[in-house]
Amino acid sequence: MSNLNSLQYFIPELFLTVSILVIIIVDLFLKKEKKVVSAYLTALALLVAMALSFQQYNFSPASLFEGMVVLDSFAIFFKILAAFSTLIIVFISLPTFRDKAEYYVLLLVVTLGMFIMVQVNDLLMILLSMEMVGVISYVLAGYNKKNLKSNEASLKYLLFGAASTGVMAFGFSYIYGMTGHTNLYLIQQALLNNNPHPLAFFIAVVLILAGLGYKIAMVPFHFWVPDVYEGSPTPITAFFSVGPKAVGVALFIRFLTTIVAHPASTGLYDFTQNIPIKLPELLAVLAVLTMTLGNLSALQQKNIKRLLGYSAIAHVGYMLMALVVFNGNAIVAVMFYAIVYLFMNFGAFWIVETITPKLKSERIADYTGLGYRAPFTAVALAVFLFSLTGIPPTAGFIGKVYLFSAVIKEQWYLLAVLGVLNSVVSLYYYAYVIKVMFLNQPENNDLIEVPLYNKVLTWVLLIPTLVMGLYWNPVITFTENSLGLFFGK
Amino acid sequence: MIQTALIIWLLPLAAFVINIFIGKRLPRKGDWVSTGAIGVSFLLSYYMLFQILGNYNPDFALQASVPWIDLGETFKLNMGIYLDNLAVIMTVVVTTVSFLVHVYSIGYMHGEPLYNRFYAYLSLFSFSMLGLIMWDNLFGIYIMWELVGICSYLLIGYYFEKDSAANAGKKAFITNRVGDFGFLIGLLIVFTALGTFNLSDIHQGVSQGQLSGGLLTAAGVLLFAGAIGKSAQFPLHVWLPDAMEGPTPVSALIHAATMVAAGVYLMARLSFMLSLDAMLVVAYVGGFTAIFAATIAITQNDIKRVLAYSTISQLGYMIMAMGVGSYTAGFFHLTTHAMFKAGLFLGSGSVIHAVHHAMDKTGSHGDPNDIRNMGGFKDKMPVTYITFVIFSLALSGIPFFSGFLSKDAILGGTLAFAMSQSNPIHYLLPVFGFGAAFITAFYMFRLIIKTFLGQPQKPELYEHVHESPKVMTVPLMVLAALSIWFIYTLPSVNPMGAAGGWFMHLIRQPISAVAAQLGHPVYIITEHAEHAAHVNGIIISIILAFGGILLAFAFYFWKKVDVEALTEKIKPLYNLSLNKYYFDEIYQATVINGLLAWNNLLKWFDENIIDFIVNFSAKVVRVFSAFDGKFDNLVIDGMVNAVADMTLQFGRGFKKLQTGQIQYYIMGALLGTFLIIIFTLI
Repeated sequence: MSNLNSLQYFIPELFLTVSILVIIIVDLFLKKEKKVVSAYLTALALLVAMALSFQQYNFSPASLFEGMVVLDSFAIFFKILAAFSTLIIVFISLPTFRDKAEYYVLLLVVTLGMFIMVQVNDLLMILLSMEMVGVISYVLAGYNKKNLKSNEASLKYLLFGAASTGVMAFGFSYIYGMTGHTNLYLIQQALLNNNPHPLAFFIAVVLILAGLGYKIAMVPFHFWVPDVYEGSPTPITAFFSVGPKAVGVALFIRFLTTIVAHPASTGLYDFTQNIPIKLPELLAVLAVLTMTLGNLSALQQKNIKRLLGYSAIAHVGYMLMALVVFNGNAIVAVMFYAIVYLFMNFGAFWIVETITPKLKSERIADYTGLGYRAPFTAVALAVFLFSLTGIPPTAGFIGKVYLFSAVIKEQWYLLAVLGVLNSVVSLYYYAYVIKVMFLNQPENNDLIEVPLYNKVLTWVLLIPTLVMGLYWNPVITFTENSLGLFFGK
Repeated sequence: MIQTALIIWLLPLAAFVINIFIGKRLPRKGDWVSTGAIGVSFLLSYYMLFQILGNYNPDFALQASVPWIDLGETFKLNMGIYLDNLAVIMTVVVTTVSFLVHVYSIGYMHGEPLYNRFYAYLSLFSFSMLGLIMWDNLFGIYIMWELVGICSYLLIGYYFEKDSAANAGKKAFITNRVGDFGFLIGLLIVFTALGTFNLSDIHQGVSQGQLSGGLLTAAGVLLFAGAIGKSAQFPLHVWLPDAMEGPTPVSALIHAATMVAAGVYLMARLSFMLSLDAMLVVAYVGGFTAIFAATIAITQNDIKRVLAYSTISQLGYMIMAMGVGSYTAGFFHLTTHAMFKAGLFLGSGSVIHAVHHAMDKTGSHGDPNDIRNMGGFKDKMPVTYITFVIFSLALSGIPFFSGFLSKDAILGGTLAFAMSQSNPIHYLLPVFGFGAAFITAFYMFRLIIKTFLGQPQKPELYEHVHESPKVMTVPLMVLAALSIWFIYTLPSVNPMGAAGGWFMHLIRQPISAVAAQLGHPVYIITEHAEHAAHVNGIIISIILAFGGILLAFAFYFWKKVDVEALTEKIKPLYNLSLNKYYFDEIYQATVINGLLAWNNLLKWFDENIIDFIVNFSAKVVRVFSAFDGKFDNLVIDGMVNAVADMTLQFGRGFKKLQTGQIQYYIMGALLGTFLIIIFTLI
């Protein structure tokens, strides 16, 4: 579709762009004590962007801007997810950054980047959208300018990101060299018509994996995660662990579907049939490594934010299992897991954000007896942690059931067993926090006052975590429908 | 209509949630929340009733469901509502009684310390009971079935500081579990054979013969086991009399009108899948329970226990009706019985309330439930007295009252069944039925005479007895009005039969899936027998009812017979009845002591045999232990600890990778990429 015609399908992105500019201008005219208005405007903009995206839901898949991006319901699903996760982050950030308009504008820009990232259809666009999300993320990680750790986080993130993106761009150049195209579909056609050299193709795919793997924190491209998660402001850490990661998985899926999987087949990677290397096996190994490393490292953590950071790596491992199987069931499972993960992970981070200023500490040891000092908050954290472990009747359990059943159905038994064993290990460190909160007597018995605002937002995250553990069918149906209209399938 | 039903169902749940969490802090401790919720449900249920009356279609049915659990091909479960005339009328019965009990309890439970919790439980019960009625599959019915059991447990044990109440709660729950275990197995048989829990799918599956023969009978009987427990049928009837430890409004709602009728309702829902043998089991269990419980009621002195045994006996009637294929009559009796038996309990509550207050005033101690403390209350409590007589007349089966119509329908049904069968043994069923009818009239009027008529047996208490407040007497009057015959026979006003009425028109026996499978009806009941049974049934039952009442007056009012002397003469029989045929003692001796003995045996085995082996082997081991010690320390402990340590070590190792130096991170990533390529190529 031509550029001008494409604009009508680009309304949510255009709206976000306009909102960004409007908020910057509005902020100039706001008095100091009224600055919080820009936060509310941001929330409103995100809500409208969600609604506009939802309105596109039933359009048939379309290729926009001369094939640079595509619009299908798979992309819309992740657009809504991205906007929603940013929306929650806006509310999580409110107590900390009440009057920082530029902070909220940056969040909106990342959201715009994520919107584009889930609908890219061209190697150049992949690079551009990832950089758009990346550069703003570096700024956000270092948002606490006077905090040394925050600065360090920002710099490490930038350097690591630059290196990985470089590797990925190198991989792109291989692909371009073999096919002469940057458009994913043209590449697919070219690969089908003139068989590529298997080794060159494989190396190219692995190099690109480095870039994608860095975005979703897959081992061995995860090194930046603990330092960045610890150094960034907590709301930003929460944001990194869900929003960009979910769209990273979406991009990963789109890349594998169009470049690596055969368009006519339903499942695995046909291109690799010509060559002795099996991509599914490689991904299985990486998935197991990712979850094992995440879980085993989390065992040792004394700092709750670092613990959640490593747990986030472990969850990437679980999600990667679906990419190993790579059929409809598995993709639905990973999409569903992303929704579930959003609520439970934000929930855990939000409690940390609530409690940290009260305790003036992020150390798990200081959570001793929290069950007596702030009962509701402690119980909520326990629910979120149980959900992250995958214990019924929480949403996390249902999410894992779908993931594991998809894996078992395709007879990846060893992978499933290792996944379950990893869940057991994770129970140890999650339950350790719960034990500290409830079984250990606090030295200091003072009740901790939790503001009403914090309680309300806790409920907002807690209710879906529990309800989806009992009645998840509408969500699954929505997810299945979203996959139904995948562009090119 | 589905939306209306959903609102009716969910309002009490909302009230429960509100009251259990913040009821204590609400004004009036939240009684208005529960009462209001059930009040709205009550009004809406009448709206549904008038809708089905407007339709006047016996085959009316609505179903709506949403998927709940979907695990692919292997297991699919929907959450849905199934509404037909049966469900709507049952909903009306439940909301009516429940609402009146809520109102009545405002007076009766006034000033109780756990007032808000009482209302929360009542709401939870209403929700569960309505769910049991409306759910469209057995899985959901089973969930709700257990939930009403829990509510019953909580409410029987409401005065949990009293040991007898706490024990009664446990007894009810455990006895019910025995029956529910059968229910569960029955459920699993149905699911294994048909792959569905959905009622209409089960109907279809059984019609097509996917579940037949012995297994079908087994499924029917096992599902009936659940009803035996819940509806307190012989031999699991023992919990219901003890359940009277709960507050009287609870007895009226749960243990007279609704929950105990759930067993009958379940049999009505499942009557389409009962095979001939299963039906006979149902009929005989019900018939035997009817007469068996009635004979116990004669000698009891606790006003609520008399009513409890009467309830067991009447439930026996309904179950028997389901067994002989008098589906409509059984459900009709359920409906009329719910009204007048709830009324009897609330009336007895009113009396107990009065005696209780009188005891408080005079400072005397004693059992406020004992009818030997009463007598002559007629003048002091006129409203309670008149309504109590109306309820008793209905229960005894006197014309112009609702009970006559429904009981006569059942008796006619059993008689017709017996006349149509070739085997004369089946005449036992009508004999049970008519016998129980006679005894019922007798014990009810014994109760009335001892409570309300004659001379006060404790004059000092009598002085202080007062009529209960309006909030308690008005529900009695409403229920009394609902015990009049024409409510159920409209548009006709024939007091001798309800055949032309709306109720009999709307409730029609569903087509039996078993009959469809076999190709012929399960029973053949000839038209001739039906007609003859109807006429004869009316005559016999009227004679028996009046006979029973007259006998009661002769014994206890006119004192024509010396009751004491008669009791002495038949002492063994009297004791047998007074002690409830020693069932509690038998269960204590057999089941409970048997289990304890088995436990003791295991304990003995454990202490002597197992411990001997352990000790012996310990000795053997001790011999080797000198050598073994080192091995153990080094190898075994090492292995155990190694697993744990290795896990932690790995963690530590991984932690070391995280040096904090960015150049190593990037090196690691690049090296990783390189290793991936190398390793996959090897």
